[in-house]
Amino acid sequence: MRRLVSLVLSAVAAAMLSSGALSAEAVKIGVVLSLSGPAAVFGIPERDAIQAAMEKLKADGKLKRGIELVVYDDKTNPTEATRMVTQAINNDKAVAIIGPGTGGNILAAGPLALRMQVPLLGPAGTMAITDRKNEFYPWVFRVAPSDRVDVKVILEDMAKSKAKKIGVFFQEDAYGKTGVDFAKEIGPALGMEVVETVSAPYAATDLTAQATRLRNAGVDAVFLQVSISSLGASFVKAAKQVGLTAPAYTNAGLAQRSFAESVGSDVDGLRVLSIGNLPYDPSEGEAELAKLLKQAGKVPQGWGELVGTNGLMTVVAAVNAQGDKEITGTSMRDAIEGLCGYQAFARGKPCFSKDSHDGWAEDSLVITELRNKELRTMR
Amino acid sequence: MYVLTEYVVRGVQAGSIYGLLALPMSLLFATAGTIDFAVGAYALLAAAVATIVAGPLGIAFGLAAAITAAAAMGGIFLILARTGTKDHIVFALASFGLAVAIASYILWQFGTQAFVRASFSRFWSLGGIRISPQGVINLGLGVLVTLLLYLLLYWSDLGRMMRAAAANPRGAELAGIPVARIQFGTYLAGGLLGGLAGIMILYSAGLDFTASLSLTLSGFGAAIIFGIASPLRCLVGGIAMGVAEALAAGYTSGMVTAMVPFLFVLIVLSLSNIRGGAMAGDRP
Amino acid sequence: MRGLASRPNTMIVLGLAIASVALAARDPVWTDTWVIVGVYVLIALSTGISYGQAGILSMSQGAFAAIGGYAAAVSTLRFKLPPGVDLLIAAVLPALLAYGLARLVTRLTPLATALATLALGSVIEIALRNMDDITGGYIGLAGIPGIGMIDSPLKYCVLVWAMICVCVLMYENLVNSPFGRALNVIRHDRMRAQADGVNVPQLLSAAFAFSAAMAGSAGWLYAHYISYISPNSLDTHTSISALLMTVVGGSGIILGPLAGTVFLDVLVRHLPAQELQGMFYGGALILILILAPTGLLGLVPALLVKFGANRGLRGATKAAAVKPEAAQ
Repeated sequence: MRRLVSLVLSAVAAAMLSSGALSAEAVKIGVVLSLSGPAAVFGIPERDAIQAAMEKLKADGKLKRGIELVVYDDKTNPTEATRMVTQAINNDKAVAIIGPGTGGNILAAGPLALRMQVPLLGPAGTMAITDRKNEFYPWVFRVAPSDRVDVKVILEDMAKSKAKKIGVFFQEDAYGKTGVDFAKEIGPALGMEVVETVSAPYAATDLTAQATRLRNAGVDAVFLQVSISSLGASFVKAAKQVGLTAPAYTNAGLAQRSFAESVGSDVDGLRVLSIGNLPYDPSEGEAELAKLLKQAGKVPQGWGELVGTNGLMTVVAAVNAQGDKEITGTSMRDAIEGLCGYQAFARGKPCFSKDSHDGWAEDSLVITELRNKELRTMR
Repeated sequence: MYVLTEYVVRGVQAGSIYGLLALPMSLLFATAGTIDFAVGAYALLAAAVATIVAGPLGIAFGLAAAITAAAAMGGIFLILARTGTKDHIVFALASFGLAVAIASYILWQFGTQAFVRASFSRFWSLGGIRISPQGVINLGLGVLVTLLLYLLLYWSDLGRMMRAAAANPRGAELAGIPVARIQFGTYLAGGLLGGLAGIMILYSAGLDFTASLSLTLSGFGAAIIFGIASPLRCLVGGIAMGVAEALAAGYTSGMVTAMVPFLFVLIVLSLSNIRGGAMAGDRP
Repeated sequence: MRGLASRPNTMIVLGLAIASVALAARDPVWTDTWVIVGVYVLIALSTGISYGQAGILSMSQGAFAAIGGYAAAVSTLRFKLPPGVDLLIAAVLPALLAYGLARLVTRLTPLATALATLALGSVIEIALRNMDDITGGYIGLAGIPGIGMIDSPLKYCVLVWAMICVCVLMYENLVNSPFGRALNVIRHDRMRAQADGVNVPQLLSAAFAFSAAMAGSAGWLYAHYISYISPNSLDTHTSISALLMTVVGGSGIILGPLAGTVFLDVLVRHLPAQELQGMFYGGALILILILAPTGLLGLVPALLVKFGANRGLRGATKAAAVKPEAAQ
């Protein structure tokens, strides 16, 4: 009997939806990403993948109610991020926001999320966003592996080569600095010591001095904490030029097509940590996403597409989990906290709880090796 | 000592690019009393175009693109001059607007990819220090351009007119020298030199769409060290800045290295007594 | 003590502020936008004072605002100072720095001075993002508490526009005071000013320091409002935007920066977003520079003359100062 009732109810609901009636049920989701500025390298693929996946979900009828996306550009600027989040929540009545695009922007928007009671799903690795000391902690979720997990995994790989003294090259921003600090913290436990660190700003025109310094320090391995592919390519070139032959390991920031293609073939063997391997060696879920992107005329760039869709799939799972109930920001937050093991394109099992707002862990990461302008997954 | 020498060599190689970026700054300041903020953007544009179109044709197209952009700036300059603006800052601001526009165009048209080209995979050894042939080419080009500029300025009619325009624009006009055209031509030269610098960076370290303003500032820093109004010292200024940066990167922290161009500017300016024209806050 | 009637700019801005805040109060997004616009107006006003009065084209107002913001953050987060006290620190710290720089560079050409300020701003930015222990480095400082009773966006809106009115009042007073007149003379003939016994470097530096204090207070409000400050929040881009807004609005005119800020911000909001933004921004700037080089408000006297009005606005327009008969 209950089954019959629920069948009838869902038929009615389906009829309501398909009749195009403007149901109070459709929800708006804000997408606030960095579509210009330095983080656009990740923001643009994130947005493209979210939109492509959304189309597919709608076409397949996987959504139990209407979901509409409103997209904003935070220009990699914290002030803009707060403005866009305010707009999405107030004007569009978004019940959840995928974004903002960078750690700093999420920290800026956090108090807004707290005050307006709308959850943020941040595709960023910056540790501080899910720090329990934040007053806005209950409202921020991370839909990518954190920087700490990333550094740990790549350093573990480095430790396998029995390296003892490591040198770090990092870019002068939050991402770079965090990586260096973690490497110094985690290294000793793995038997490695950071003996020299060098850095450069995004637009450095020559890195040979930095490479020379690492070479002179006699390091066994080099760790690159860089997310700007031209900077990474420059450093690799400079290292070759000055004779810095120690094997290089780079964090996920450089797991991008533009890096693989711009760096010459004389760095084959470079180890790159990556979140999945969408462009070159996709898993089943990733291959599906790659197909969607291709249909939308986009070329997969790296893992931006994966973390972007992680946010989307989390939202979709949360919306579906609430059935026909009225959806608010608070109900979305509660629903997300109850999600564990739902479908997403990325590898690994996503899981949230009240105590853990970091949804993705080591199982979504892979170690790859750069060969022939491609990233080959190492087993 | 050997280590120090190596850093100096690296700095010299890198500095020639700064020298080339500094030349347009200095030339324009001498002839028009203003600076072109878009020099870094010309470099970026040339590098971007040369990435898309492969080989020597790409270099030609890149330089052509840079010169076209500089021509646009020159045109804007002429229009602004015609409206009677006395304030040199306005020209500089307009060039800033163009720089922002070009950077945005590059992001839109070329995306966020890195503009970098592999050049030589073999290296030469200079007393045990490995140097890349590309670095030597860069330095050679810098020297060549400076030489050509010297010949132009001191051995040709055009050069004489340029120097006249720089020394006394009113007097030069009265003498029948087409000052406005010379200033326009200087902007074009800025495009060519900036574009050349961009190509050199393309084959050395590479760059991406965020690079334009910092390249401009580095160029300005290099131009100002030995006197912004003397173009021929720009190469030396560039090399000085390159060496300072290399030494800073080798011996100090990232913070100090990043500050090098700006500290150059601040120190030089506070020690100098540039009296060419009005002082800050003076009658126009 | 002259009344408000002889301070037309203050009256105008007071009226504008009341009307605009009342309008913005109707919608949370407008309120939020209007607070941020208010912060930028303050920074642009400070650029206007520095350029219009001291002749120093400052490209470092963003850095001064950042110092103000970090001062506010550190004072309230680490030292737990009460809310109003950090305003003092936020204003004084940048002023001291500005005074120091100005004493070094006042002898230079305007362009060189401008680039000196650009260099200073960049050095400040680099320093701020490397002082991890104090400023939180690249990540910045989050969780900055509010300003006591000011706890809603609307109250911040009222506060920032009240600050703007106060700043315009001070600007207008400065212009009409002996100091303002001395600055005026310096602007037109430095040698004459020195002959009159005016200590030129000291006065110019004081004016620049005053502008830095204004920018610092803008940063103070920003930090408390957004409750987060990072090296990207108020940086060289902010300085350059403030400069553009000032020039577009009219650098010699008291209300010029205000007009420029509001105009450019509106322009930016309505452009096709994302990658093309820079192209339109730059192109719009060039157009405005060509069509209205003395700024948008610089067109006003010309328009007034055209339509027969004989009163010029009492303000620091260079034109007005040059023609003494128009000063009344």
